[in-house]
Amino acid sequence: MLKHTKLRAAVFAALALPLAAQAQNVTVDELLKRLEAQEQKIQALEQKLEAKEDATASAPGAAPTAEEQQQQILVLERKIEIQEEAAAAAKEATPVVSAGPKGFSLKSADGKNQLRLRGTMHLDGRYLPDDDHGVIDTFQATRVRPTIEGTFAGIYDFKFMPDFGQGRTVIQDAYVTARFNPAGQLTLGKFKAPVGLERLQSANDMKWVQRGYPTSLAPNRDIGVQLGGDLGGGRFSYQAAFLNGSNDGSSSETFADTDINDDKEYALRLFAHPFAESDSFAIRGLGIGIAGTYTDQVGNLTQPLLPSFRSPGQATFFRYRAFGTTAGTIADGERTRIAPQLYYYVGSFGLIGEYTEVSQDVSRVVTAGNRTGSVDSDAWQLAASYFLTGEEAAFRGFQPKSRFAPSEGTWGAFEVVARVQSLSVGDEAFAGGADSFADPLASARQADSWGIGFNWYLNENVKWLLDYEHTSFDGGAADGDRPDEDAYQLRLALGF
Amino acid sequence: MKNKGAWSRILGAVAGSLAFIATAGAAETVLLNVSYDPTRELYADYNQVFSSYWKKKTGQDVTIRQSHGGSGKQARTVIDGLQADVVTLALAFDIDALVKQGKLLPANWQARLPNNSSPYTSTIVFLVRKGNPKKIKDWGDLARPGVAVITPNPKTSGGARWNHMAAWAWALKQPNATEQTAEAYLAKVYANVPVLDTGARGSLTTFAQRGIGDVFVSWENEAHLATKELGEGKFDIVYPSLSILAEPPVAVVDRITLRHKTTDLARAYLEYLYSPEAQEIIAKHYYRPRNEAVLKKHASLFPDVKMVTIADFGGWDKVQTKHFNDGGLFDRIYAKK
Repeated sequence: MLKHTKLRAAVFAALALPLAAQAQNVTVDELLKRLEAQEQKIQALEQKLEAKEDATASAPGAAPTAEEQQQQILVLERKIEIQEEAAAAAKEATPVVSAGPKGFSLKSADGKNQLRLRGTMHLDGRYLPDDDHGVIDTFQATRVRPTIEGTFAGIYDFKFMPDFGQGRTVIQDAYVTARFNPAGQLTLGKFKAPVGLERLQSANDMKWVQRGYPTSLAPNRDIGVQLGGDLGGGRFSYQAAFLNGSNDGSSSETFADTDINDDKEYALRLFAHPFAESDSFAIRGLGIGIAGTYTDQVGNLTQPLLPSFRSPGQATFFRYRAFGTTAGTIADGERTRIAPQLYYYVGSFGLIGEYTEVSQDVSRVVTAGNRTGSVDSDAWQLAASYFLTGEEAAFRGFQPKSRFAPSEGTWGAFEVVARVQSLSVGDEAFAGGADSFADPLASARQADSWGIGFNWYLNENVKWLLDYEHTSFDGGAADGDRPDEDAYQLRLALGF
Repeated sequence: MKNKGAWSRILGAVAGSLAFIATAGAAETVLLNVSYDPTRELYADYNQVFSSYWKKKTGQDVTIRQSHGGSGKQARTVIDGLQADVVTLALAFDIDALVKQGKLLPANWQARLPNNSSPYTSTIVFLVRKGNPKKIKDWGDLARPGVAVITPNPKTSGGARWNHMAAWAWALKQPNATEQTAEAYLAKVYANVPVLDTGARGSLTTFAQRGIGDVFVSWENEAHLATKELGEGKFDIVYPSLSILAEPPVAVVDRITLRHKTTDLARAYLEYLYSPEAQEIIAKHYYRPRNEAVLKKHASLFPDVKMVTIADFGGWDKVQTKHFNDGGLFDRIYAKK
């Protein structure tokens, strides 16, 4: 500004002398024109000067002004800020890969698409000191189940779980669940029928090498469609399923995963955690429910649609007569199951109790013609568990307080378990002498078992199970009762 | 027959279940409006008015969610799966991308609403520091050495593409101008850009809140917002001798609304933008309303400016290919920076 003022003063001074000298010879208009011309010259000079100043300021090598330096700092700060925003945005869009005790997963940035790799491996050893039961002491890979789970679009869950255990290849689970909302989830495919409480517990959470008797009366996996969901913030849940129909304790692979008739099975299960939000710690962990199934199906000679039952030591102690022969018993009519159930967890203590009753219409071609009847079977169990090392017991999942690391002086979690259980088959099965539906000399009417076990959790994924279970039978032998059974079983379980 | 009866019962149960699920899911009607950067405040206001209007008209509660970002980036996000019921973007090219790359709505989408589906217009102005210390009066001043220009990245920002084309239009109108001289001019302008934000809102932050630059090439509405709300008395708005008529378009994303069962609602949402009430809100947020009466009422806010349109350059397809596609004019001149 100072430069401009000086410039103006000099120009006006230069103008003043000739103007004064000629003042008497020129008109006012001419003077104004001259002034305007001079003003324009001044403006042009100012612009040239500004441009020169700008050029000088931005010329390479010119020392930046304090203002320019401040701008440069601000620009750098802003660029860093933008880079950080871009990095944060990129992070939001970057898929998340994770690996941990719960398996391995790949998840889209918004969490709506996921792929999880999980697995179960159960390596068992079985020893029965008494050889009277026809059971071979053996080691076996009972479950070998690589599992792929995932979610698409935040709604559609899927699970694919083959099983290569016991030298066979079976698809245990293959289903898609559409989670429209918590109260309405539609599942289609092969999945666990919503009946038995212990059956619905993941194999990774099993506390015994063998599941209990009530599970022998409940269907295992079946193919069909299920509507289920949670109500009241998870305090109540329901599942209603329409299924091909499965034998007691069996899966649809019994029929090569294809149905043998048009008649289907209905299943319904209701379960509640009535005190889930209670202030009382003692009752919060109570879950109680009831399940049932109904079907009306007729078997045939190759697929009689009837079960056999095994003891904890895996001895078959009951089967219907003459399976697979023209004189064999087959399912012929209605089959209903009802299964009240509960669990209770408080602190380190856990309890599962369930009762299952099955009423099965049967028939058998005998000399006098077609003999029909209805056989009622029931089973119950009470299985308790307690973590000696203070972990919190739960129906699903487990978090050890320490992991097995002798160098660090930690040994994992220890749990003791005990259970009593019983399975009985109705007298109707054995009535009729030679025409009976089951042979009383070969099949026991009842099995009563008690057992104890010790579980050692090395960490979340690896555990040892050691069980002893004693069973006594009612009937089932030519000379009365089948001999008592003592079974020792060991399992190394890997689950993730 | 027994089996048929069972199947009927089952089908009935499944249908009932699905109806239950559908009913449960329909408890809250939600509409997602995916828009460009500077429309946050406009749609925040408009959504309230529309929700009341819709409730009064249909009795239905509606929640309208907004998503904002650079227009091109927003279009990409919708193509990639963002469940936009409606898009209200900065330029038609970005909605055309939803047609061509996502097949999300029909090609004639622009004919479905009045004014080529642009319920408001805007233009490009200069926001300068109070008193205009760098004496920035027209586009030519942006190329002067020592002038720091703030504009977003035209690769990601619709507003930046309007800025770019307005500058291009001015350069082509200069004496003896050719496309080469215009390109050389733009190269000088971009050489003066210290920071390229991804969207107009980011550039406003750079200029107004971080204090960077001498001039922010801005949407008219964004410039007014800055002068009124980010620092009254701190900025001046300069209208250049020539600008461009920006026509931000709106459209229903048919494939998504069909899935969401929100087609009628989405259509009504956009149609209501043309109502006098909505046009008032539009003017209040310094967008130029289409409604003549409302525009006249707020004429003082919107000085007459000589404007070109994008059609003068052959439309957005041609402009995009020539200027903004990879290897286009912008890449050439910005790579030299």
